[in-house]
Amino acid sequence: MRPVQVKAVYFDGQSARAHDVVLSLAGASLEVSGDSISRRDALSNLRVSELMGEAPRLIKFPDGAHCEVRDHAGLSELLAEGGHRDGLVVQLQNRWRWALAAVVIAVAAVAAGYRWGLPAVSEWIAFKLPGKALAQMGESTLSYLDQAVFSPSKLSDNRQQALQKAFVQLAVPDEIDAAHVIVFRDSPVIGANAMALPDGTIVVTDQLVSLAKHDEEILGVLAHELGHLKRRHSLRMLIQGSIVGAVLAWYVGDVSSVAAGLPTLMLQMRYSRDHEREADVYAARMLKENGISPARLADMLARLEQAHTSQTAQQKKGAEEPGFSDYFASHPDTHERIQALERN
Amino acid sequence: MSQALNAQTIRFQFSGKGGEYFRIWIVNLALTIVTLGIYSAWAKVRRLQYFYRNTSLANHGFDYHGDPQAILKGRLIGVALLVLYYASESFDPTLGLVAFAVLMLIMPWLVQRSLRFKLHNSSYRGLRFGFDGTVGNAYKAFLLWPVIAYFTLGLLAAVAHQRIKAYQHGNSRYGSEGFAFNVREGKFFGIYFRLLGMVILLIIAVAVLAGVFGGMAAVFGGGMSEEGKIAAIGIAIAAAIGFYLAAFLFIGPWFAARTQNLVWNGTSLGPHGFSSSVRARDLFWIYLTNFIGILLTLGLFKPFADIRLAKYRLEHMALNAQGSLDDFLAGQQQSINAMGEETADVFDFDISF
Repeated sequence: MRPVQVKAVYFDGQSARAHDVVLSLAGASLEVSGDSISRRDALSNLRVSELMGEAPRLIKFPDGAHCEVRDHAGLSELLAEGGHRDGLVVQLQNRWRWALAAVVIAVAAVAAGYRWGLPAVSEWIAFKLPGKALAQMGESTLSYLDQAVFSPSKLSDNRQQALQKAFVQLAVPDEIDAAHVIVFRDSPVIGANAMALPDGTIVVTDQLVSLAKHDEEILGVLAHELGHLKRRHSLRMLIQGSIVGAVLAWYVGDVSSVAAGLPTLMLQMRYSRDHEREADVYAARMLKENGISPARLADMLARLEQAHTSQTAQQKKGAEEPGFSDYFASHPDTHERIQALERN
Repeated sequence: MSQALNAQTIRFQFSGKGGEYFRIWIVNLALTIVTLGIYSAWAKVRRLQYFYRNTSLANHGFDYHGDPQAILKGRLIGVALLVLYYASESFDPTLGLVAFAVLMLIMPWLVQRSLRFKLHNSSYRGLRFGFDGTVGNAYKAFLLWPVIAYFTLGLLAAVAHQRIKAYQHGNSRYGSEGFAFNVREGKFFGIYFRLLGMVILLIIAVAVLAGVFGGMAAVFGGGMSEEGKIAAIGIAIAAAIGFYLAAFLFIGPWFAARTQNLVWNGTSLGPHGFSSSVRARDLFWIYLTNFIGILLTLGLFKPFADIRLAKYRLEHMALNAQGSLDDFLAGQQQSINAMGEETADVFDFDISF
């Protein structure tokens, strides 16, 4: 059998000079000869670069010299004869079928990470954050909102204290500790709304108070907000949003950072609905334990939806500020939520 | 292969293919996910090896020699710094500012380390590149001048840009032969003045369009009612997005093309010069189609996009060789760890060579 000979270019690693050489096998050694070069090295001392399309393959010698080979068929034959085997990753990436399997794994992993991993990680972080951090975040959010959309409440001090007192007197259904403070703000821009900030501040707008036909409806909303607080929803949303934003920016960063913001917004809407349901369940439990019908909250939801239908354009605004429970009619499932509460 | 090359222009060739790179990319991605990110260091080496080995000049290829374990170490430190930064920022904005200032203070040092690692681990014809820029000069180029540019409201941004490129290119070497960078500040000012003109034109165009739509909204939407205000906010947001998209799609490629040409046309290696002839309109087309492709395929087009851009940019560069390329000799060897490069990479500094 004719021994396999492969053309190559040899560089000694000391100068840029190219030497045209021929490679051949001599037992368990590789022989390099031609253009004043003659060397023989044990195959086990050589490192052969993997096949990467048309790119030349490189055979590296221990002393820093290397050969550049463009005759891929010849080299494969020579390597096979010498007993060289490609690494596992190389076998994977050179076959379409494995590449497609990798697509499936990647997509499945991303989907699973998004569906289960992300909420779990965010929840874990949210419950690990120290109280000082929460206080800081709550304060800065409130002072930002005070500048942007809120003005001081026009409700009388008596009215405010009465509502606060009524809520404090309610029994709390579970053991998770969540200190909370209720504050009132006037906000024609936002309209009737309530939101739970990470530090335990529950903000209620004057508009919501005047929209309610009965104080128990307001207590229902406060219980719902307390549910958000207990499960640290706003915090988890902020953490999830930050993680998704960071990953997207990293992934598309160099090509289309412009597009990164849009999906984040769309993605966050979903979590918001899950959290609303959780908070509704909590509120229903709390109301029932205190002898108040969960239907009060359902009534309030219906009223809020009605009040906000005329302001459909503001839906977007609600979505831009994830983490604040919003009663804007942005949830197509408000109706479903009302039914769920009335079943209680 | 030791034929004498008299004065001649040798174009860079790039043989990378989207389909091939897609397989490497997706296997890299899947393994990175399965190993919770650990494999990303090996993935990076494979990716760079694919690009380097598929780049050739005068029939010989480049190679990348980075050690994945060194890269992994640097990456872990980088991620730790990044997490610390985000954490301190979300706890307390002032603490975040302090962390940002500290990062900015160590950034030039990281950049210097990064350049050393990157060049030391690149080779052509068996000879390593190298980088000899000092840490002190890195602080001048990457901290002092950008700060001066900031306090002169960007007037001296052109000088800062020139200093950064002079630092990168002027301190690089191939084997024992140093690169030289001979572009004066004036040329950078030329690009920056035209850039400023384009941004102003773009702002005017966006403002006029927004005004037209705003006027229509006011007429049909009933003056300054709540709906009118909301429409105005919507138009302002649309105008801002339009501005960014236009800047990204039109001004971005123009600026990238002009600076690449300017910088490489003014770089030389011993007696050999470089030339670059990238055209803004070609880059614009590549950016636009890549952007659409990535959006439509939810990211799967990314490897094809990377190959297209690299191929265009490389194949529009050439070496103006004066004589043989056989005469370069190896320089002194340094052992260099990856901490700078990876840390800087995580923070996304553009230090591409």
